[in-house]
Amino acid sequence: MTVDPQRPGESVAPSGSGEVVDLPSATRATDIALDELELVYAFIYARVGNRSDAEDLTQQVALKAFPRLRQGAPASAIRGYLFATARSVLGAFWSTRLGLSTAELHEDLALAVPQGAPSEESAERAQRILAELSDNYRRVLELRFLHGYSLKEVAAEMRSTVGAIKVMQLRALRAAAKVNPDA
Amino acid sequence: MRNTPENRIERIVTDLLHGRRLRLRAGDAEEKEAITAAAQFAAASQGPQRMSPAFRRRLAQILESTPKEAWLTRRAALVAGLGLAAGALTGGIVGRALEPAGRPALRAASSPVLPRNGRWTDVGALADFSEGQGKLVTAGAVGAFVFRQGEGVTAVSNMCSHLPCELWWDRGPKVLQCPCHPVSFFPDGKPTSPTYPLPSLNEVQARVSPEGRVEVLGT
Repeated sequence: MTVDPQRPGESVAPSGSGEVVDLPSATRATDIALDELELVYAFIYARVGNRSDAEDLTQQVALKAFPRLRQGAPASAIRGYLFATARSVLGAFWSTRLGLSTAELHEDLALAVPQGAPSEESAERAQRILAELSDNYRRVLELRFLHGYSLKEVAAEMRSTVGAIKVMQLRALRAAAKVNPDA
Repeated sequence: MRNTPENRIERIVTDLLHGRRLRLRAGDAEEKEAITAAAQFAAASQGPQRMSPAFRRRLAQILESTPKEAWLTRRAALVAGLGLAAGALTGGIVGRALEPAGRPALRAASSPVLPRNGRWTDVGALADFSEGQGKLVTAGAVGAFVFRQGEGVTAVSNMCSHLPCELWWDRGPKVLQCPCHPVSFFPDGKPTSPTYPLPSLNEVQARVSPEGRVEVLGT
């Protein structure tokens, strides 16, 4: 299980109330929140892989979290609160789309939502995962995702058939899911 | 195209590589690991992402319509069922209606969820609820775990009392686990760890009708 290092009553809720998180200034609140939501958007996008879903989920985070923010707290507290909300929203997203309960999804959430700064994510993370795969699996994922090849083009490049590449793509993705790039 | 795992994954990969939404179907859950990996590779292939100017403007409008003075507490949000209804809301209209200005932010722990103009919602037959096991139900915008106790039922909110994270029922130790923090709650809503100063979960009103149906007070 992925665990947020922040414990209740610490940085997330510096006031000790455990109820609301403070915003630095009323006049700048929207700008600050938008800047933080940029990070949330990148975090979510890195997990759902498409703009439409990322926008919907980021909006959900804003709607859920923003009314509970209040004037006066450090940006780190706001960020912690927004990302905790983002994790919850992502969990509900996968749960709904896959038709699984949150409990069934639990272990996968841990894989999908690792700790770490958003800036370190996406491309670098993908490269670390690819580096752990066998040559064939790495090649098929590189060609398909990073170079944008069609299945037919990948098959031609790897001197194989479309059917075989399709199966290899599935196995490569399964193998990639098992790699922990943060280890 | 036959409905094989490799064909299902190829359809999802193609959608992702064309920038389309994730459209998942029955059976796709079996390949959830591959699907989440595909989504991550698709994101990686497109490089760092920023919000579009149009989306940023839309978000700004939403944020500016949320309350600036009458700050909505987490528990007030629960009373309104905002936790589950957030996706459907277009602003802070509900929030403004809930929290009078100047009201203390912290409320008493374990206050019951009493929606305004709440109504009792049928969530299933009593026979569908197993003794000792929590079952997640929704009554409008109110989410709750219902526990059967003989011929009666109790219910607590499915939202963690610290952060707005939706709890899940852990059948083994029979506790409600929070996906965001290492905390859990007993079926009566009390936190399991004495070391975390967490409030108890909100109680949700639940009852059994004379016809043997479980009803939850929701929205």
